[in-house]
Amino acid sequence: MPNDNPFQDPLRFERQAPECAVVIFGANGDLTKRKLIPALYRLAYDRRLAAGFAVIGTSRTSMTDDQFREKMREAVKNFSEDTPLDEDVWAAFARGLYYIAGDVTDPAMYQALAAKLAQVESERHTGGNVLFYLSTQPSQYATIARGIGAGGMGKGAGWRRLVVEKPFGHDMSSARELSSQLHEVFDESDVYRIDHYLGKETVQNILAFRFGNGIFEPLWNRRYVDHVQITGAEAIGVEGRGAYYQEVGALDDMIQNHLLQVMATVAMEPSASFRATSVRDERSKLLRSIRPWKPDEVLENTVPGQYGPARIGGEDVPGFRQEPGVDAAAQTDTYAGLTLYVDTWRWAGVPFYIRTGKRLPKRVTEIAIQFKSAPLHLFNRDGDADGLNLLILRIQPEEGISLRFLSKRPGSGMTLRPVSMDFNYGSSFGERSPSAYETLLLDAIIGDPTLYTRQDMVEASWSVVEPIQNVWRNHKFDFPNYASGSWGPAAADAMLARNGHTWRRP
Amino acid sequence: MSTTVAPEKILRDLAALWVEEGKQGSAGVLRACSMTLVVMAEESDDAAALGETLAALMPEHPARTILVRLRAGSERTLSERVYQQCWMPFGQRRQICCEQIELVASDAALGDLPSVLLPLVVADLPVILWCRSPRLSAMPEFGDIARLATKVVLDSAAFDEPEAAMARMAEAQTRGVRIADLAWTRVTRWREMLARVFENREMLSRLSGVAAVKVDCGARHETSAWYMAAWTRNALAAASLAPAVTVVRNSEAIHVELSGPGLRVALRCDGGTLAVTVNDLTNQTHLEPASDYLLMREELGVARRDTVFERTLSTAARLAVSSKTE
Repeated sequence: MPNDNPFQDPLRFERQAPECAVVIFGANGDLTKRKLIPALYRLAYDRRLAAGFAVIGTSRTSMTDDQFREKMREAVKNFSEDTPLDEDVWAAFARGLYYIAGDVTDPAMYQALAAKLAQVESERHTGGNVLFYLSTQPSQYATIARGIGAGGMGKGAGWRRLVVEKPFGHDMSSARELSSQLHEVFDESDVYRIDHYLGKETVQNILAFRFGNGIFEPLWNRRYVDHVQITGAEAIGVEGRGAYYQEVGALDDMIQNHLLQVMATVAMEPSASFRATSVRDERSKLLRSIRPWKPDEVLENTVPGQYGPARIGGEDVPGFRQEPGVDAAAQTDTYAGLTLYVDTWRWAGVPFYIRTGKRLPKRVTEIAIQFKSAPLHLFNRDGDADGLNLLILRIQPEEGISLRFLSKRPGSGMTLRPVSMDFNYGSSFGERSPSAYETLLLDAIIGDPTLYTRQDMVEASWSVVEPIQNVWRNHKFDFPNYASGSWGPAAADAMLARNGHTWRRP
Repeated sequence: MSTTVAPEKILRDLAALWVEEGKQGSAGVLRACSMTLVVMAEESDDAAALGETLAALMPEHPARTILVRLRAGSERTLSERVYQQCWMPFGQRRQICCEQIELVASDAALGDLPSVLLPLVVADLPVILWCRSPRLSAMPEFGDIARLATKVVLDSAAFDEPEAAMARMAEAQTRGVRIADLAWTRVTRWREMLARVFENREMLSRLSGVAAVKVDCGARHETSAWYMAAWTRNALAAASLAPAVTVVRNSEAIHVELSGPGLRVALRCDGGTLAVTVNDLTNQTHLEPASDYLLMREELGVARRDTVFERTLSTAARLAVSSKTE
């Protein structure tokens, strides 16, 4: 028997998933309908899935296989933004959809699931490969992992992997506890902690941009970079999730996972190869190199915020404390601004400013790398052109890269003006970018964890965030401290001003 | 009709277009270019359809396009015009423009073309020559034009004698010319689906049971069928297997079947659906019609040497020639 498939042609063939069953816990939930099934259907549409592919959905709601198929068909119709519902493709895909109802705390459910898996393996030839996807409340993760183990599904004829959604704990000790509970059944190498930010095309392109080109990396250090700003702004408020959000806050919801991972991708050292372990090792090393603030340094270098009511575009919008389900005296941070330093030779002394918030002027996620000014001002710039060399890596909404530099204005005088050179994914390449979930689901099925978060990375992130969290929880802030529709609290501006910097307006 | 073309003037005209474009709106324009795409088409070739194909290719493969329209006849004609293609990105700023140059050349002026094309190709970027005219590719001047190119794209299915065309391509390849054949590109999805079947370890273990490979096709798909047969044969040979490989002309569409004791893998296309049957299990998948746009999109995306194709072309040419002599 040949060891490798002699028909493979990696130059022309797309990456493809091997045969497997995906078991989705919480299959009646929003994530399944809006993201998971549309992403899997798109993979089927693009011929990325093996013929022996199946999905087993499970939740408490009672449904037959056919009812589940019909529900998922509606989900694909409603939430697949740029993929037509092709009846033939759907029919083939739907034949691999199964459903069982059950309570995740009931051992009988896992026996039923094991029987269903055996049936699917025989009918669909999935080779015993199973990807368990936990799209449930985080409080159920440990219960489900143990149930899978007790039901004898943690091991089998093929591989077994577990995908979990954030949050990965709510502090260091709960993160460690969760990991150890998952490890009772799954090895760390089989646990895929999903961070959909890392599946975005631009975040992946940061690696290509930095390490595929020889011209940027020599500038990527303390000698040439003045500071870095990472912004993850949302224009919306808590949108009916006030009760949940007031227990979480912006620091835990966005910075602990998404934005620190983005920062690690921007600042990490080149890895020796593009193998998952190498890339994740470098990301992890960077996170461990972020200087944690001592308690007496926290308020100087971090700013929490909470939005108050305002009138935006002729419409009155409520403050956070007026949102349904929110405590009228809530101390929740809906905004978080941090100054961080990376204690490495490359980045020593370079501030990384990170901010995220709800009800900011617009939805935008981008990284701005501000380069130092030219050492000598040859041209009369009146100081206003200082710091104009700026590299912007835009993650959303328009994925792309912009470089701002000075150019001579046409004419006889020596007047300079800033110009921007833009590379826009949407316009420079007409090809549709896969959604983050398509990328990440395919990676998990193929067994490539490069874009997934590892336990040591989670713990390194908590070691940065937890000291801030502790101080914020023990301090009473005068909230609200920024109006909805503004760029955040004045204290955040003051934090940068102390270093002679100002926040950009993305 | 003009009989001379000055490349310098074309470049000046292009520069003037950029200046003009820059005056319209404050955002300015960006020139996007990843290659020079030289397209050679007969004057009778559907200009509107070809224009649409090139326009569709530009967002993903921005290029300086040089379209050479070939006029049969002995009267010497060589003329040019330049224009741009711009499109609005999602941000609604006019941002990206590509350059297009159109030349008209009669047969008698073909010998002058290399000296016109050489200064017009963009420095330091690949030059892709897409020759849509079988007539031109058989002319002696074609060799000089092809020498400018990093890669020459032909379509053996468009030739009156496809076997002879394959043989010529295989011969050119031995001289170091990088060839691509759209008849090969047409079978990529088929090959991909066949490869998928053997990603399954159980199926891979049964590969040694393949005793026969049969490719059934109509005349229109003959070269694609030869490629499919040759590629399958080469892949199986790499696994030390040597089944009987046959190509027969029975059906209008291509039908591929690998068979042996207790094993049958078949691929058949019906409309926009490709059905892959493994013994009693059939899986259907969406298969877009292989338009010129899709085929060229794939070829322009292959920047490196395609060693799989190179090996397949040699085998396919041999298979086709030996079938003729049998």
